Amino acid sequence: MKVLAIETATPGSSVALAEGRRVVASATLVDRTGHSRFVVPAIDFCFDQVGWSPQDLDGIAVDVGPGLYTGIRVGVATAQGLGATLGVPVIPVSGLDALAFEAATGHRHIWAVIDVRRGELAVASYRPVPGGVVRDSAPELVDFEGLRARLDSDPSDFLVVGDTELIADKVLSGLHRVKTGRPLYPTAAAVAELAAGRLERDDIPPPEEVRPLYLRDPDVTINWDKIHDRGPWG
Amino acid sequence: MNPTVLAFETSCDETAVAVVRGTEILSNVLSSQVELHARFGGVVPEVAARAHVEAIRSLTHQALREAGVHPDDLDGIAATAGPGLIGALLVGHSFAKAIAWARRLPFVGIDHMEGHLMAPRLQFEEFRPPAVALLASGGHSQIVWVRDWGDYETLGSTIDDAAGEAFDKLARVMGLGFPGGPAIDRESEGGDPTVVSFPRALPDRPYDFSFSGLKTAVVTYLQRAQKEGSLPERKDVAAAVQEAIVDVLVDKTFRAVDDTGVGVVAGGGGVLANRRLRERFAEEADKRGITLCLPSPILCTDNGAMIGVAGAFWLSQGRITDWAETVDPAMRLP
Ligand SMILES: [Zn+2]
Repeated sequence: MKVLAIETATPGSSVALAEGRRVVASATLVDRTGHSRFVVPAIDFCFDQVGWSPQDLDGIAVDVGPGLYTGIRVGVATAQGLGATLGVPVIPVSGLDALAFEAATGHRHIWAVIDVRRGELAVASYRPVPGGVVRDSAPELVDFEGLRARLDSDPSDFLVVGDTELIADKVLSGLHRVKTGRPLYPTAAAVAELAAGRLERDDIPPPEEVRPLYLRDPDVTINWDKIHDRGPWG
Repeated sequence: MNPTVLAFETSCDETAVAVVRGTEILSNVLSSQVELHARFGGVVPEVAARAHVEAIRSLTHQALREAGVHPDDLDGIAATAGPGLIGALLVGHSFAKAIAWARRLPFVGIDHMEGHLMAPRLQFEEFRPPAVALLASGGHSQIVWVRDWGDYETLGSTIDDAAGEAFDKLARVMGLGFPGGPAIDRESEGGDPTVVSFPRALPDRPYDFSFSGLKTAVVTYLQRAQKEGSLPERKDVAAAVQEAIVDVLVDKTFRAVDDTGVGVVAGGGGVLANRRLRERFAEEADKRGITLCLPSPILCTDNGAMIGVAGAFWLSQGRITDWAETVDPAMRLP
């Protein structure tokens, strides 16, 4: 089973090719705005290295967020374009799941954190199980204080992964029992592995369900006055 | 050579996909977001970008199905690369590039304004350079001298608001809602434009436009007329506003036609869908005995076919956009 994974939802972009759950090629770039320049040349490079052709693919995996809106859409649009024209399924993967999956070692409870800008963080907590992790609850948006409160009330020994540099001072300093771990950003390798599992189980969503996970409505306000304004004619 | 091109346009609030063979439209489908943005009184970039992602996949299938073209029969892929909203542009550009890469087809990024400029080719065989074209929409207003395909000179452009923006702002002042162009066009039907006369701002530079003064004049006029109890019917004011905008656009465009001595005049962009503007273009072209190439309104507003015809042209010239190229929200015609 051959899978292409695309991760462009955070400042760390990566693509990976996997045979089953084994990554055979990957490329990475850390650049907050470089997703669109990176993704197709990187895919092209990886295919070249392993000598695959696009028609060899059995599926495409993509990080659908949370993260940077524009980056998420570059990834989802790229994956949708490839999936549509090659006639292969696109598997959506949450970046939080990918972070926790990659960090899972031993017994520690895991908090995955992704910066979604404007003072907010996307977070979810996970518990380790054999072969991976299980999410405790749906991902949510919190501010720095909110995250600190959540971590403070977690009685277990836990590991924080993701944007730990961003929260080092404001959230983590002074907290006990906390350990930070890698990765800093979700990786295409983890996205590929998670998707490979779903492809094996035939857990494939219909294409229209492959959509960005923004966790937030667009920042707009409806101006009702303006809508009902009839000008000087009342 | 007439390449068959699958083309994408997502620079603003229409998700548009088309299949074009040379200058022939095989399919031209779009999903308009007008309703989505109307309640915000203008296009909201994040709302637009989100809607493009939702629409593009099924729209592409529809475009290929309606064209009766199998992807194996395509010669290339084209997508708008700018100008426009960055988040919106990136959806179509990324989707298009992915298809081109997967099918080993050449990809070409297209200037949205060159798309508008080439749209008349889809309907008029007689549209050949040298020509003068007025390109006017919510985001842009410019007069372009087309010396040859790919050889353009922008003679003039707006020094403040784009013409479509002027329509939007003035429609708002008159309580006509968004988008303003079609609203004013509808409202002015049966209105008498001579009831009130608004100033025509004609800056020193012969081919440039200015519309901000008109808005001030209309606001001042409406306030005074209301206070004095002499407010005319709204359709009359709408007709007068429309006449003022159209006058400036026609005056400047045909001054460029006369000065360059071209025998062909064309137009593109949403404002060129305005009925009064089309009437005046026809009159002026007739008066001079020159060829008028004004495509149907559906090809004046944003569409995929215009990107397809420009894409087919550039692909036939051997232009290929590198995989590492991205969009340019500030792209400009020379
Ligand atoms: Zn346009």
